[in-house]
Amino acid sequence: MSELTIDKVTLAFGGLTVLNDISFSVEAGELLALIGPNGAGKTTVFNCISGIYRPSGAIRFRDRDIVGLKPYEVAGLGIARTFQHGELYGRMSVLDNLLTARHLRIRTNVIGEILRLPSTRSEERRHRDVANQALHFVELERYRDTPVADLPYGVQKLVGFARAIAAEPNVLLLDEPSAGLTREEREDFAHYILKIRDQLNIGMIWIEHDMQMVADLADRIHVLDYGKSLADGRPEDVLRDPEVIRAYLGTQAGP
Amino acid sequence: MSDQVHPTQLSTVMLQPASRSARTIFVSALLAVAIIIFPFFATPFHLDVANQILLASIGALSLMLLTGFAGQISLGHAGLIAAGAFTAGILSKEAGAPFWIGIPAAGATGGLLGLIFGLPSLRLRGVYLAVSTLALHFIVVYAGGEYENLVGGSGGILIPPPSLWGLKINTGKAWYVLLVAGAILAFLVTWNVVRSRTGRAFAAVHGRETVAAALGINVARTKLTAFVISSSMTAIAGALFAYYRGFVSIEAFSLYLSIQYIAMIIIGGIGTLPGAFLGALFVTLLPYLIETVVAHLPGAQAMAGSIFAVNYAAFGLVMIVFLVFEPSGLVGLWRRLERRLLIGRQSP
Repeated sequence: MSELTIDKVTLAFGGLTVLNDISFSVEAGELLALIGPNGAGKTTVFNCISGIYRPSGAIRFRDRDIVGLKPYEVAGLGIARTFQHGELYGRMSVLDNLLTARHLRIRTNVIGEILRLPSTRSEERRHRDVANQALHFVELERYRDTPVADLPYGVQKLVGFARAIAAEPNVLLLDEPSAGLTREEREDFAHYILKIRDQLNIGMIWIEHDMQMVADLADRIHVLDYGKSLADGRPEDVLRDPEVIRAYLGTQAGP
Repeated sequence: MSDQVHPTQLSTVMLQPASRSARTIFVSALLAVAIIIFPFFATPFHLDVANQILLASIGALSLMLLTGFAGQISLGHAGLIAAGAFTAGILSKEAGAPFWIGIPAAGATGGLLGLIFGLPSLRLRGVYLAVSTLALHFIVVYAGGEYENLVGGSGGILIPPPSLWGLKINTGKAWYVLLVAGAILAFLVTWNVVRSRTGRAFAAVHGRETVAAALGINVARTKLTAFVISSSMTAIAGALFAYYRGFVSIEAFSLYLSIQYIAMIIIGGIGTLPGAFLGALFVTLLPYLIETVVAHLPGAQAMAGSIFAVNYAAFGLVMIVFLVFEPSGLVGLWRRLERRLLIGRQSP
């Protein structure tokens, strides 16, 4: 059974159809690249999965339809995401940023927190350990107590990545993790993406514009164009598909 | 070079960021000593000012939690202080309720009001939310006024001095001890919230709500929690104020009071707990400072009538100066000075 299934999803704002009958799915431990030209609706798909938009059709996590759930409820099922622009909390330390992703797992209540009960402290410590492991995973331990705003952009994007991992998700949505990164930072990212797939067995949907990276890393590619599914399959087939090439490069000008 | 450490080198070492926690301990110890010896030297007037600062600190800490950490702007702070003061006053007058009932009752009233007036925050943001919290202010002020009319005239309510464990709290010194304890308690409550799961959720909601929700944070619940904790603390500060003055009248709780509290957290430094104390100190002392300055100006007699106007103007000016030149407040100023000092020492 697939971890996450997008089943005939359609979304319209007024008369404008943004997503038109999209269907695809991702398995556990699979890296699915979601590609398409600008405005194809890739991030919109993520927003539908996250519960920000409410499309028609079904989005199933395992066998449960999650359309209509609130964003925090979707997150509660173990569907984590990263954002195009990181969206971290600049004044908080790296570790505290990671801990925000463990909100649902931390079992403390306000009264216990105000009194700083021993049970609250041990629970905090336990989750700090998990967050530290996520930091270790992306080798950022040295920045643990640094406010995120003081870090360079490339490191910040990695922190966003670590935050998503810290949630111990079942499915991970990556929204252009490599945008704005240097060549070396991209290579680092590629390394960590593969490490997640191979070590954590998480299903990943990965929005990416760097076709070289997609060709090298993705297990499967799903192509969107103007809100429609254009192609789905192995990288070597999809990237050679004339339809896909046309969508990206446009048709040749007339004679 | 000899093995001896050069004096300037030593001071550089002492000011290095690595020893930051050691420095914090040093500053806290110094502060503790100052707080302990203060009442032995203070005049009754100084004690009264100190007590006002301590009361303001509790109110500022609770607003800091709501606005500085959870990012919810409120103009209803004076209304909540009034609600706490009236809860204590009415319970004392109508039922002869003692201090240890009046304080938690005020906290409960504040919490309930916070829950109700936090509801608009689920739909409204920023200035719009601030305006909706104004309703809280006017409703409480109206209710308080009606009560005063009911009991006759607009004289307000007299409250006998509280007693704790058989000790009457009726001197400036006794109040000082009680309020220092209260301020420390308020600090511990806010600090414990800020550094835990709830506090991180506050910061997340303050940042970007959609992102907070995608992280699994229930935004609505988080906002209401912030309103309830903050309002409850605010009302307790109001009740303390009522007991301290021994008298409650609705006139004491104008909109200007709400603005003063907002000024405290801005001037002190939004999103910092020491900022609440520094802001309370600054805003409470400012009128006394202005009075002193004006008294030394030539033609002081002629200006005596307009001292309030001068106060308002100076207050507004200070707020604008901070917003423009030091948005991170006194705490930011302090950190910057500290850093400059460090750099100055390192390069002789």
